[in-house]
Amino acid sequence: MDRTDLQSLIAKCALKDRAAFDALYAATSAKLFGVILRILKSRSEAEEVLQEVYVKIWQKADRYAAGGFSPMTWLITIARNAAIDALRRRKGGSEPISAEVVEQMADAAPGPEALVVQASERARIDRCFAELEPDRAEAVQAAYLNGDSYAELADRYDVPINTMRTWLRRSLLKLRECLSR
Amino acid sequence: MSADADKDDDQALAAEYALGLLSAEEAAAFEARLASEPALRQAYAQWAEDFAALADDIPEEAPPARVQKKLQVRLFADARPARRSWFDRFGPGLLVAGALVAALFLTVDLPGQGVTPPANPVYTADIASEDGSLVVLAGYDAEAGELYVERVLGTARPERALELWLIAGDNPPVSLGVLPNDPAARLPVTPELVAALEGGILAISDEPPGGSPTGAPTGDVLATAPLTNV
Repeated sequence: MDRTDLQSLIAKCALKDRAAFDALYAATSAKLFGVILRILKSRSEAEEVLQEVYVKIWQKADRYAAGGFSPMTWLITIARNAAIDALRRRKGGSEPISAEVVEQMADAAPGPEALVVQASERARIDRCFAELEPDRAEAVQAAYLNGDSYAELADRYDVPINTMRTWLRRSLLKLRECLSR
Repeated sequence: MSADADKDDDQALAAEYALGLLSAEEAAAFEARLASEPALRQAYAQWAEDFAALADDIPEEAPPARVQKKLQVRLFADARPARRSWFDRFGPGLLVAGALVAALFLTVDLPGQGVTPPANPVYTADIASEDGSLVVLAGYDAEAGELYVERVLGTARPERALELWLIAGDNPPVSLGVLPNDPAARLPVTPELVAALEGGILAISDEPPGGSPTGAPTGDVLATAPLTNV
């Protein structure tokens, strides 16, 4: 299923088309469940979160407008944020990621770069991560894929939190510089 | 700070926001700026797109079918036989449940025949079969010494009966009675059995009309659920 198909399914969900919702679920739930499971590492929790995520998708589909986030990015970002919220609730921390913003980001006017699709996207990302020092590339990936916080990263690399943050911010700028080349 | 340094700072901030690394206060401040700063929105959108590519590596994992079933019940309750949990209808959950559940509660008639659910059940169980085709709610009324049961979905097989059992620990199941044809009923619980409700499990089996001839389940066990203390 390609980008246009997904966009059209989300648009139909906004019109409360249940068949489209079922089709969207069939096409994307395994991916989103994988993303959530990777962060939560508990199937039962991941099932709960997946359910929440699709409720949100159904309810907020009208906020999604083609031309903003690509559909898969929109779906993955909602799933990831919900999983990280659940992870932080579990750890007793606060600091939830606001999902509202993600839902609204869907109608953000995209910059020209955002519209450049994306066949070579993955290769570009890999190339730029490879330009970072390996442990820093790994830290950014751990933050994204596992939902690690600065405190957890600092712990893992055995540096003070402020040092970790300085490190990571520098790496992120280097990454952006490479990605926009 | 120079304009370039500001720009760098915003780039890094947008990335940190996309990664979920900001503190609650920082994230709120970032979000407040998003509304009025298109460049910041664009920076965030770009990071979200770029990072999402990392998810390519995550293996897909098909979720179990029950997730979709629950979703359909939750979102499209009007299209399905109502699967109403005890708490949604009678318990404290009603106070916090959303409008959907509240509406469901108001539009669904309580079962007739003068059999009413206990106002303050001590133990409850939502007994549902694996495939969701049989759903029975149970709640123990301590004042009356009766177990209120309500079959909200499914029926006995043709020429067969549904029998309710209480299982306590490793003891053999004890029959609480055959479910009548009426959807709601109250089954007496003998004083000796009351103690077994705590931590006990309710099970429903497929039996000949009138119930098991042997005093133990003889047919398929269709559904089970633990009793939980309210």
